[in-house]
Amino acid sequence: MNIRGRLIAGPVLAALGCLTMILAMAGGARAEPDDCTTPPEMTQTDAKLPHLAERLKAHQPATIVAIGGASTIGQAAGSPDLSYPHRLGQDLAQDFPDSPITVINKGVPRQTAKQMYERFATDVFAEDPVMVVWEVGINDAVRGTDLDDFAATLQSGVEELKNRAIDTILVDMQFSRSSATVINFDGYLNALHRVGDLAEVYVFPRFAMMRYWSEQKVFNFDDVAAEDRAKLAARVYDCLGRKLAETIQRAMP
Amino acid sequence: MRAASVPLPPALPRDLRLDFFRGLALICIFIDHIPENYLNYFTISAIGFFDAAEVFIFISGFTAALVYGRALAVRGVLIATVQVLRRAWQLYVAHIFLFVIFIAEVSYTVRAFNNPMYNEEMGVGDFLERPHIAVVQALLLQFQPTFLDILPLYIVMLLIFPAVLVCLRRHPMVALIPSALIYLEVQIFDVDMPAYPPGSVWTFNPLAWQFLFVLGAVLGHADTRSSGRAKLLALAYWPALAIAALALVIRLSWTFHGIWDAVPALFQHQLWPINKGNLSPIRLISFFALVMLAARWVAPQARFMRTTLAWPLVLCGRHSLEIFCLSILLSALGHFLMSEINTGFTMQLGVNVVGITVLCLTAGMLDWYRAVQQMPATTAQAMSEGSGGEV
Repeated sequence: MNIRGRLIAGPVLAALGCLTMILAMAGGARAEPDDCTTPPEMTQTDAKLPHLAERLKAHQPATIVAIGGASTIGQAAGSPDLSYPHRLGQDLAQDFPDSPITVINKGVPRQTAKQMYERFATDVFAEDPVMVVWEVGINDAVRGTDLDDFAATLQSGVEELKNRAIDTILVDMQFSRSSATVINFDGYLNALHRVGDLAEVYVFPRFAMMRYWSEQKVFNFDDVAAEDRAKLAARVYDCLGRKLAETIQRAMP
Repeated sequence: MRAASVPLPPALPRDLRLDFFRGLALICIFIDHIPENYLNYFTISAIGFFDAAEVFIFISGFTAALVYGRALAVRGVLIATVQVLRRAWQLYVAHIFLFVIFIAEVSYTVRAFNNPMYNEEMGVGDFLERPHIAVVQALLLQFQPTFLDILPLYIVMLLIFPAVLVCLRRHPMVALIPSALIYLEVQIFDVDMPAYPPGSVWTFNPLAWQFLFVLGAVLGHADTRSSGRAKLLALAYWPALAIAALALVIRLSWTFHGIWDAVPALFQHQLWPINKGNLSPIRLISFFALVMLAARWVAPQARFMRTTLAWPLVLCGRHSLEIFCLSILLSALGHFLMSEINTGFTMQLGVNVVGITVLCLTAGMLDWYRAVQQMPATTAQAMSEGSGGEV
């Protein structure tokens, strides 16, 4: 490189360096090191929760029942206080300070959609909720419940909630690469989302979110040392609870 | 499939459609068994309310009646029965082979990945928890993990088939009426076949699906006798066309709705979910409409089936058991690769192209081998030497 070249190159390189630094700073400022980040399209929702909205608008108390399996009760984290419904309750209390919001956890491990549906009378309706979060499908995929029966059960459940003027959010399966290799979730995911689509019920895309986190290496769901599993589960449940709260907040008019 | 080993007087030219459509069904089964495979949009299930399973079972009933019906006519009930049971045994062995592959896959994955974090629910179901029971239940055809559900149905169909054959020989209706009544009973009273683990049922309820198998057998059997098949075809053509067109439009609207919300999913509220385990009448009618059209539009020896593109399918259909087993193995492998690496376009293309190619090449090899076996010794030797380089 000759002298002239060097003269030009100096300022250009300096300018480029500055630009890179500015971009890096801007980038750093925008993306807080937040584990729970997901692509915006995953939380974009046209979820309608009219009954909950009405309560919150009138500053009336609202009860939400979270019914589901082991991940609802927070079994992998070791305590219901570390489960996603708990986190959801905390976040909603912050977002809507004028309404006392209670989230009741009705997770029972290893239940199929049908078993959960059979619990509706005692575990859901008895609590007189204004909204239900129904986390469902893992055990059906594991046990290989007949797909049509699975869909039909979901439909009956969603229909009954609707008839009782209860808002509903469905939560789909958990993702982990090694499980997805052995268990065929695809059909059950499709059925679940189709039920949501037909009944105009929002399906919270937990599977897609967790897969995103796994692919982005935010969380590694496989090859977790036994002693770290509970900690990881608690962090994931925390993220899911926050995302769910965000979704609900966004659905309020 | 076994016609060749049964010496029969006037050997009719084989109806190529049976092999072609069964081959097509097998390729579709391979594709459909890979989750998140975009090619799913283009399999048989995309054009009606049925899928490859109906095609497979129907054609299997049809060919069984064709082959064993003639064996029965020529060599008597006893020999025909033994032949059917021998075939059922072959299927059983194949089923156990597939089960061993399933065990290998599950055990490997679970061990290699150091026990998934969410194993309270994710566990691999009952197999690794109670392997001693699961293995016995698999031997009894009661434990049917993913992909291991259609061969048990086929085996049960063959076990009842000697009785069906004897009835068929009296009169098609003697076989058809009881079969239809059982099917109706399932539809009305929702009768299930319990399976293992307790609480689950047979994926393909044999009480319902036997009707399709027997229907295939009745039509296949009618082939060897002279009967009103042509009349039926002429009569049913227009209704079949209307039903098939309607099903196609509705089904396509569902597919497009899945891709783009603005397209309405016609009648989805009323029709979906369409029960597969109990072979919902909607599936059956939609399937038969297409059978009628295929029978009318495609000649038994239609030339297109001998083209380079279609012939591999004919060969796959001709060696259906081997190709089915291989397709299960390959789709499990494809699923494994896609969930391990990625589901990108290149991966999809690779898995599908390699899988289908391997299936077709294997079918070609099996066919070549059978041809060699059937030839007199000297010619066979010459041929195997001559074509040794190709295979």
